[in-house]
Amino acid sequence: MKYFIYLLLVLLFLLTGCGNNEEQPLSSLKEVTKQSWSDIEKSATGTTVRLYMWGGDEGINQYIDKWAIPHLKEKYNITLERVPMDTAQILQKLQTEKKANKQDGTIDLIWINGENFKNAKENGLLAGSFTDQLPNFKKFYDTDDPAFTIDFGTPVEGMEAPWGKVQFVFHYNSAKIEDPPSSFSELKGWIKKHPGKFTYPAAADFTGNAFLRHVLYAKADEPSDIYNSPLDEEAISDTAAKMWKYLNNIEPYLWRSGEHYPNSLTELDKLYSQGQVWMTMGYNEARAESLIAQGVFPETTKSFIMEPGSIGNTHFLSIPFNSSNIEGALTTINFMLSPEAQLAKYKPNYWGENTPISLDKLSKEMRKKFKAVDRGDSVLSQEKLEENFLPESEAAYVEWLEEQWFNEVVQQ
Amino acid sequence: MIKPMKIIFYSLAILLFIGPVFLLVLQSFTEVWQFSAGQSLTFQLDSYSTLVSDPNIMEATFWSLVIGACVLVINLVIGLLSGKALSSSSFKGKSLLEALFLAPILIPVLAIAMGLHLFMIRIGLADTWTGVVLIHLVPTLPYSIKIFHNAYHQFGNHLLEQAEILGATGFRQLHTIELPLLKPAIRSVTFLTIVISLSQYAITAIIGGGRIITLPLVFFPFLQTANTSLMAAFSVWFALLPFFMYLVVELLLLLLPYTRKPWRNLR
Repeated sequence: MKYFIYLLLVLLFLLTGCGNNEEQPLSSLKEVTKQSWSDIEKSATGTTVRLYMWGGDEGINQYIDKWAIPHLKEKYNITLERVPMDTAQILQKLQTEKKANKQDGTIDLIWINGENFKNAKENGLLAGSFTDQLPNFKKFYDTDDPAFTIDFGTPVEGMEAPWGKVQFVFHYNSAKIEDPPSSFSELKGWIKKHPGKFTYPAAADFTGNAFLRHVLYAKADEPSDIYNSPLDEEAISDTAAKMWKYLNNIEPYLWRSGEHYPNSLTELDKLYSQGQVWMTMGYNEARAESLIAQGVFPETTKSFIMEPGSIGNTHFLSIPFNSSNIEGALTTINFMLSPEAQLAKYKPNYWGENTPISLDKLSKEMRKKFKAVDRGDSVLSQEKLEENFLPESEAAYVEWLEEQWFNEVVQQ
Repeated sequence: MIKPMKIIFYSLAILLFIGPVFLLVLQSFTEVWQFSAGQSLTFQLDSYSTLVSDPNIMEATFWSLVIGACVLVINLVIGLLSGKALSSSSFKGKSLLEALFLAPILIPVLAIAMGLHLFMIRIGLADTWTGVVLIHLVPTLPYSIKIFHNAYHQFGNHLLEQAEILGATGFRQLHTIELPLLKPAIRSVTFLTIVISLSQYAITAIIGGGRIITLPLVFFPFLQTANTSLMAAFSVWFALLPFFMYLVVELLLLLLPYTRKPWRNLR
């Protein structure tokens, strides 16, 4: 027994020996940004940048692995490492590191928006304001665009740089549906005519919640009544009542008579893939392309949007408070925002996602290249998407819808 | 004569165990099947080429194996020793101690991991593979201790006392009596430990901090894809690991005394 205790002690001793690093004084974001941009780029040469991001989409992963990593290496001699991790986990890690006052963090870049950004900002998990330092952001982006200055109702204040933007669209199988509905009342008519062929994910799901927000926008007098004002349950009670009525109205005609809602977009996509329902939906207007190529969605899949419009949001790159390579992180973000990187992201072969860049600020040749990209038959035209763009509401609506949907629709 | 019980057993086994595994393997080699569209199966290897082209997968497999093996060895040592102590000695507060040994599976592991993360950052174990091994002990050790405790309890103290009277040293007792008798327990512990350790996502992500990438970190985000072929390929790959490690342990068990060694019968 005694030996065992000694053994354990020795083991523990050995274990603690392995990981103990001397803490080095690190330069903070403020000090780094005092330097000129060329100095920042110079000191970033030869360093390693660790990008933590959700890793559940092969197209997105391949854009980083096969395009961004080799090009960044070639241009700046920066080694970019992609680490797959859920954003909630990343924030949890940062939160604990903040508590433990760990200054030499392992995360240099995070992919973030919405609720997560709000949490990170409120808890001081981000390095600070940096976007006004990025040459590419100043040169090619409309820096005052509300899509970049406000993220789900939270002021951005330069703490994250816009990387991409997506819009919500509905998908349908054009072999089975000739004319997709163009408004929510038409959708209701279609659902009643085709019982069991439509459903939407439950409100706890990101996409299901976005569907509900569309209904809420549609039932308000003006969509701006919702997205321009903070959540006030009293003020929107009329609109809310109309929304619940609409949802309860269509419920008996949904898939499985509305007794069961898909728990996630994945479930809905599978139902659509099997032909059990005829419509699916989701953020990223081009997401059907890769699913068609993989043979998951039928080749006749097309997309549509309805009145009053389609909600879109921006997603961002940001630097955590304890990044140990701020120069590298800044250089990498600047690179990701460059027209070349955005063009590669825009092409459908890897990611195929829309770009937040201002096309009219680009050089003529670059603009031509962007216009020449064929995003695929299932993607709506850029004009149509832009005309129907609606901004996100405040993050508080998301939670409120999630709770109320259960009371008003599921339990009715 | 055909025994009806046997027929029922085999048909149930095929229906419930072999059938689903067969479907999984089949799915991993075919395109997503839209059965209601009346399509036939199309064979492909795309899901495996996607799997192999992920640059993290080999590193993740390596770390999963290393961490799984370390967790298993520590589990066997601690489980065996504490199981023996619990069954052979009696002392005050023994039941309290037993309850404490089980505590980690009664409290959510995530809650423990968050507290331990703070501690591990302070002593420099966060973001290291040793830290991940230690945190994987939390959800596995209670089972190992329980299993070994029961196994020792079953064959009782008398057997060991006899060996002691005959003058066998502790090590000899372990080698010639305890380990051969504990084989079934070792098998259960091996399987449980490896499967539990392999499937830890949240605690590996928190303690490993993305420096240590194991299979679930690469694999779990893909649960959100509608591409069932890719999912199936991942699952097959995932299932090969415990299978491989189980084989290694089986081979090691052959080294124990009184084992019928297959190569002897070949002569």
